[in-house]
Amino acid sequence: MSRFSGTLQLTDLDDFINPSQECIKPVKIEKTTNSTGSKITIREDGYFQIADDGSSQKLQKVEITLADCLACSGCITSAESVLVTQQSQEELLRVFQENDKLKSINSPEAKVIIVSISIQPLLSLSVRYQLTPNECASKLAHYFKRLGADMVVDMSVADDLAILESQREFIRRFRSRENDGVKNALPMLASSCPGFVCYAEKTHGSYILPYIATTKSPQQIMGSLIKEYVRNNLGNRQIYHVTVMPCYDKKLEATREDFYSKETDSKDVDCVITAIELEQMLSREGIELNSLDNGTFHQPWVSNDSEVSPDLAGNSGSGSGGYSDQIFKYAARELFGRDNVNLEYKSIRNPDFREVLLESNGEVLLRFAIVNGFRNIQNLVQKLKRGKSQYDYVEVMACPSGCLNGGAQIRPGDGKSVKELITEIEGLYESLSSPLPEENKIIKHLYDHWLGGQDSDKCSKILHTQYHEIEKIPNALNIKW
Amino acid sequence: MGKLELIQALNSDTGRVWNVGWHPKGAALASCGEDKSIRIWTKDLRGKWTNKIVLTDGHKRTIRQVSWSPSGNYLASASFDATTCIWDRKSGEFECNATLEGHDNEVKSVAWSSNGLFLATCSRDKSVWIWEVNDEDEYDCTSVINSHTQDVKKVTFHPTENILASCSYDDTIKLYKDEPSEFEWICYETLTGHSSTVWSIAFDSTGSRLASCSDDGTVKIWKEYPSGFPPGNGAPTWKCVCTLDGYHERTIYDISWCRLTGLIATASGDDCVRVFKEDANSDPDQPTFSLVATEKAHSQDVNCVAWSPEVPGLLASCSDDGEIKLWEFKK
Repeated sequence: MSRFSGTLQLTDLDDFINPSQECIKPVKIEKTTNSTGSKITIREDGYFQIADDGSSQKLQKVEITLADCLACSGCITSAESVLVTQQSQEELLRVFQENDKLKSINSPEAKVIIVSISIQPLLSLSVRYQLTPNECASKLAHYFKRLGADMVVDMSVADDLAILESQREFIRRFRSRENDGVKNALPMLASSCPGFVCYAEKTHGSYILPYIATTKSPQQIMGSLIKEYVRNNLGNRQIYHVTVMPCYDKKLEATREDFYSKETDSKDVDCVITAIELEQMLSREGIELNSLDNGTFHQPWVSNDSEVSPDLAGNSGSGSGGYSDQIFKYAARELFGRDNVNLEYKSIRNPDFREVLLESNGEVLLRFAIVNGFRNIQNLVQKLKRGKSQYDYVEVMACPSGCLNGGAQIRPGDGKSVKELITEIEGLYESLSSPLPEENKIIKHLYDHWLGGQDSDKCSKILHTQYHEIEKIPNALNIKW
Repeated sequence: MGKLELIQALNSDTGRVWNVGWHPKGAALASCGEDKSIRIWTKDLRGKWTNKIVLTDGHKRTIRQVSWSPSGNYLASASFDATTCIWDRKSGEFECNATLEGHDNEVKSVAWSSNGLFLATCSRDKSVWIWEVNDEDEYDCTSVINSHTQDVKKVTFHPTENILASCSYDDTIKLYKDEPSEFEWICYETLTGHSSTVWSIAFDSTGSRLASCSDDGTVKIWKEYPSGFPPGNGAPTWKCVCTLDGYHERTIYDISWCRLTGLIATASGDDCVRVFKEDANSDPDQPTFSLVATEKAHSQDVNCVAWSPEVPGLLASCSDDGEIKLWEFKK
């Protein structure tokens, strides 16, 4: 069973032809400059190129990387085998072991391994091991350090940056529509769900992509923070960056070419590990998380990095990062001078399609929505395509109930329903403190010392990204009854 | 033995005809096929069926199935271009007023629920979609169900309830119902027994039995046991109570269970249309059916059979040979 979100599972499946046969990259052809073309024959033992003189040369098989799969409109679920080898717990353990060896001989090749933990898988593990979120975080910190991590860090700094950037992007888009009549500016769609982004790129292209916020997802903001700013602070040492995330789709996101740095020849996020995989790693080693010692979090982005006990926070609003709430409140204040607005969501058709309005004398000033799950994404996308959407902002997530129910969160144990589990995790999320991102001193420090201030060119270069329409490849094999 | 008497062959020179669908009042027959058009046939003053209306421009590829809404006011068409069109004649002429997009590739079948409030579609993308019909020709997707593991060939609704059945290249049949507490349709039963692709399914007039036909050359009759099986022994379930084996020489592509006469007709890759009748003394838990007519109906694969909802014994068939034929079953 695939662990991708439903959105990705549905994309371009095929029942008659195996992915390997249909894959556009089965063999590599070394181009010779003087020949005009090449004949290739297929034999049982491989593919052979026939030269003009009749001699034949065996062709190399090409290794298909996840990046190839992302750039192709063909199969996607079959990419899972690729994924499993490049982004698995086995790979992670291998890296830890190798690095240990390098460290033991004081090799300059040894990397600094940093593990960034996001809040959703943490809560999933908290419920699984019956720990408070902070306890769970400190046990996990200990576990990763035992495996060989040099630092374990809290990803909420990236969550906050993503919120702040999204807030300002929304205001820019709103004003460009109001003042300059720019079409395609709104609704702004949340960009943090890689399942939705990948689906939009592969199936709806130019209809939808302009609406997706250019603000990077928290995972990729974290990637830039670690691989650029922290790397710099650590004297440009090589870093291996691991994130702990609630869904498989995040592995696809980490592999996007946009998030690969030529400068350092590395990805901003090297390996993504999910809650479900962490549970497997722990149980394979026979470790009860509860019985581990408490560890600490690092803060390598502050000048005097001292280790601290985890003190987790969330953003008020949905468990997917609170985008709709945070942007709504900010926009109400910035655009209409309305402070402390009360958000009352109304379900449209089902609890995974909720909308909230800011009104003034019966006039709708802002219309926001939270849309989760594939069927609701469908209705949203179709409305957008037909120009019938009235929304200004939509928090779109591919998984029903959003990220707290991410595709790679731990499944409910005996006798518990998925619904009960989600309710429990949501309860934990709501119990966290939710300080305002704009009041986060660390963020201010980062804007000042790393990003050259808010709205700087560096901000747009580092905290924003772009999307690419993937054209369907007309393939003779695709034309079937 | 009875026989099928040819009433009329409707030749439209359109190439392969995939499907025919009766208007619920029986006064019109819609056909579709590889020419990407829909043709609507009605009886002229002399009693001959003629093609009065041709609907084009709705689809870019083969149209696999057409389905009239229970009111007869709407016609849905499912196409290999991955879309489903809804046609109506509010303006006086048939027009495509809604196009349902979302399937990733070929849409294989489309069906309306008995109350006309839901529409189901299925596709080679392995999914079954349920759409809710709203005012102003808006169709909202209410469920996307990924229960099948292969190409889904056909969807059909229960004759009176909001229950949907589908069948697939994965050799199974699945049943779905609206689950209000989940705000979603869920698959609640999987019928296994066929050893190859299940091409089509048809409920009887009550909806308590379902007939299926398969690439394995058999027809199976499934019966609902609302109080479990054996009866009184638990949760509702469906059981295969009869298998008609050895009658068809090749794949059976379609099956139609007449809601007026109880006759079952099949369409097969052996170019024949066959009619089965339930025996008079048939045991409800082990029913028996007899072959009452075999007709080499076409010169190529028969793709579809459909009993008229109004005229007992009137049957339509269509084929790869490009012809649509109307038959009368005579005892």
